This record gives sequence, C-alpha cells and structure tokens, in this order.
Amino acid sequence: MLTIDKLCYYSRLRYVNAMEKFTYTVLTLVFCVASRSLLMAVLVLAVNGILTVKKGGIPFSQYWHYLMIPLAFLIISTLAVIVNISHTPLNAFAFPVGSYYLTGSYASLHRGVQMILTALSSVSCLYFLSFNTPMTDILSVLKKLHCPDLLAELMLLIYRYIFLLLEISSAISISQDSRLGNRNFRTSLKSFGAMASVLLIRAMAKSGALYDSMEARCYDGRLKVLDEQYPPKSREIIWIILFESLLLIYTVIKTLILTG
Amino acid sequence: MSKKQRKIVAACAILAFSLGITSTAHAMHIMEGYLPAGFCIAWGVLCIPFLAAGSFSMRNKLQENRRSLTILAMCGAFIFVISSLKIPSLTGSCSHMTGTGLGAILFSPSAVSILGLIVLIFQAVLLAHGGLTTLGANTFSMAIAGPFLAFGVYKLCQKLKINRKAGIFLAAMMGDLFTYCVTSVQLAMAYPSESGGIAASVVKFLGVFAPTQLPLAVSEGILTVLIVIGLETYAMPELKSVGFIKEQEVR
Repeated sequence: MLTIDKLCYYSRLRYVNAMEKFTYTVLTLVFCVASRSLLMAVLVLAVNGILTVKKGGIPFSQYWHYLMIPLAFLIISTLAVIVNISHTPLNAFAFPVGSYYLTGSYASLHRGVQMILTALSSVSCLYFLSFNTPMTDILSVLKKLHCPDLLAELMLLIYRYIFLLLEISSAISISQDSRLGNRNFRTSLKSFGAMASVLLIRAMAKSGALYDSMEARCYDGRLKVLDEQYPPKSREIIWIILFESLLLIYTVIKTLILTG
Repeated sequence: MSKKQRKIVAACAILAFSLGITSTAHAMHIMEGYLPAGFCIAWGVLCIPFLAAGSFSMRNKLQENRRSLTILAMCGAFIFVISSLKIPSLTGSCSHMTGTGLGAILFSPSAVSILGLIVLIFQAVLLAHGGLTTLGANTFSMAIAGPFLAFGVYKLCQKLKINRKAGIFLAAMMGDLFTYCVTSVQLAMAYPSESGGIAASVVKFLGVFAPTQLPLAVSEGILTVLIVIGLETYAMPELKSVGFIKEQEVR
C-alpha cells in the first residue's frame, strides 16, 4: 500500500549501514539548502539519481514518478514568486491587465530556477534515504542519536499500526465500493465518515489488545528490539567523506565570493 | 493587448486552473528544500516550546495510566492513515485531509503536536509529502498552529452554546484554513515580493493556493462532523477513554 516502503526492501543498498546513509543524506541536504547553488543542485541530483536507480536498483519509472509528485506545489508556488502585480513593469516580462501589470524581473526568474533546482535536488536526497532504507533502520539510527525515548517508542508503535489501519481501511473501502457507497459526492462523504469512525473504534480495540499482549510478555515501559548489524565499510565512508568535503569546499568558496 | 499576448494570458490561466484542479491537493506541505536554511532553523526553534509542553503532558498522562501509550500510538497512526486516504471532493481532484483538527478535538492539541511531528516525519519518508529540512515549518503550521486554533474555536463554540456539530465543523474548517494561512505567511517571509514586500507576497501565495485549499477546508469540516457523529453513535466508551466526553455530559 505504501509504495516507497515496499520498494526500499527490494533496494540493493538496503544492507548498507544505515548510519552511513543517514549521515550522507543529512549532510548533502544541509549543503544543498545552505548553498542554493545551481551547479551543486545539478550535481547532487545526478549523484542521487545514479545511486538510487543504478546502485539501488529502484525502477527509473517509479523514481521519476515520485520526483514529479511535488511538481504541482513547486510550479504553483514558484509562479507566485516570479509573477508580481504592480503599476510599473519590471525588466523581464510584463503583461498589462487593466491598469496593472503581471510582471517579473530577471532577478526573480533566476531565483525561481534556483528554487526549483534546489528543491528537486533536496527531494532527491530525501528519496535516497527513503528508497534505500527501511523505516525500522531509520528508527534505530534515531535511537543511536539519542532521540528522546518517548518519541522513538511512539514512532516504532505508530509505524507498526499504520499498516494495521491501512489494511482495515482498504477492506472497508472495498466493501463500501461494492455496495455503491461511493456512487456520488453525498454518499462518498457519508461512506468516508463512517469508515473513519469505524477505523478509530477498531484502532482503540486493537490498542487495548496490544497492550494486554505486551504486558503478558513482561512489558516494562521499554520496547527492546534486536537490530540487524551491518557494519560500515571503510570504502563507502571514504567516498562519503570525499563527496561531502567537495560540497563543503564549494559552499565555503561560494559564500566567500558572495560576501567578499 | 495584442492577440499574441492575449493567447499567452489565456494559456497561463488554463495552466493555472488545470493545475489547481487536477493536481493532488494535499494539505499544504512545504516541500523539501524549498525554504532557505535560516528559516528552516527559525521555524524549528519556534516549535520547541510547544513540543516540550506536549511531551511533558504526554509523560504525565503515561504516568497516570501506562495504557495510554498504545492509545496515543494508535491515535498517531489514525491521523497518518486519515491524512493518506483520498477524500471525496466536488471537483474530482484527489485531495487529502489533515486530520489534525479532529485529533486536537478528540485528544488534546498538545498531544497532537507530538503526534503531528511524528506523522510529518512518516509522511516525508513514506509518502514524499513535505521534507526533513522543512519539518520545523510544517510542524509549526500543521501540528501546532492548526490544531491549537481548532481546539480554541471548538471550546469557544461550546462556551457560546453554539450547536455542537456546527462548532466541530467550524473548528475543523478554521484549523485547516489557518494552517493554509500560516503556510502562506511562511512562504512569503522566505520569498518577499519585489514590488510590495512580504504583505504582497502573502496575498500572492494565499491566492494561488486558494482554489485547492478552500474546498479542502470545507470537506475537512464536513468529514470531521461525520466522523464525530459516527463515534458518538457507536463508541461512547472509547470516547471516554480518550477524554473527549469527560468534560461534557453524556447526552
């Protein structure tokens, strides 16, 4: 039901040490957002594409499909940045509408391109993590980074429950569909409301049962799960260090040029 | 306006309109990498006091009754699932509700702030909505601002003795609208307009997202009322266990 979650278990990079992947993603993201440079965005986009599709073996069509998901948001909000409404036309383009102009400047056009590329490259970083790392591995990384116990535990439980509830909800929707429950707008509103309220009731019942079974197995306030161990490889670490220091140097040089 | 220009404007209008209708209308997640670094950090820092308050109230609840851990987790999963399901919409586009307004009314806004944070992380990683760098901004708009306002409106309606269903509808709708306004302000502060500054930019962002977000807010309101009606009919004990019915008399 959750395609990304399914795909990441097939990935060939799945058994690479999760901490490595997490560090790589976070550092690259930080440099992308901090430098906002076109060159770096293109480089990161290419590297992540190659890593996820070629090394990870995620089908290109799927990857492309997911890369296009945020496109609507991207186009709409970038249009809002580029296009201005004012009395005086700016230098790049201007369409008169009544006594006003729909207008934009070269600076804002440049900024728009910069925004789109930065956003796409950072999305590719996020996808590198989520297409190649199962959620349980990410959670164990968070635990190692001393994320608060309460948060880590809740995340583990919620992740488990998501699939339970998705299963129930899809079964209910199928039976609603087969009884013409989504025939028109009115009935589909009614069906959705009914489905959601039943979902919560079921969730509550399940949570009670789950607590009972946890307590029967000596639950003392902490869930202890064995992690699978995939030791980091020095070759991968060296590559990550090389790549990140390249990005770091580029970011530093770029800010030095901009400020000085 | 020459013929060519008219054609361009028409094409732009069609493009904008069709994007507004056919695109998936999620509650507005700011996508990964869209905010400059300074803003990412600032919004994240702004969330910390709310999250701390949320986690303290959660801890107290857990000390009272350990059973609430699984209930809280189920609520979090419920919010995620509700927000990942397609909801019916008039225009035929596929849209999703936030579910945080419902959460705030049923549980408490401070608990929803923590659950919302977790749900946003899962949405970023599993569904590719939102992102890690924009987590702070998204948490502030969707897990803090919206739910707190929804809860406030709900309580206010109770005080004013407005019909309960109308109150719930208003709360969920206003919560959704407020999320959309806050997100627009967040985007506008990061990208002020060249002619007119932040204020003009806020108007622009509010304008371009209005076609998707306004119908969404109304559907969210209607659905929240329907869900609560369903729950009150079939699930009184459960509602008592999450504390929804406690303050008000069982009818």
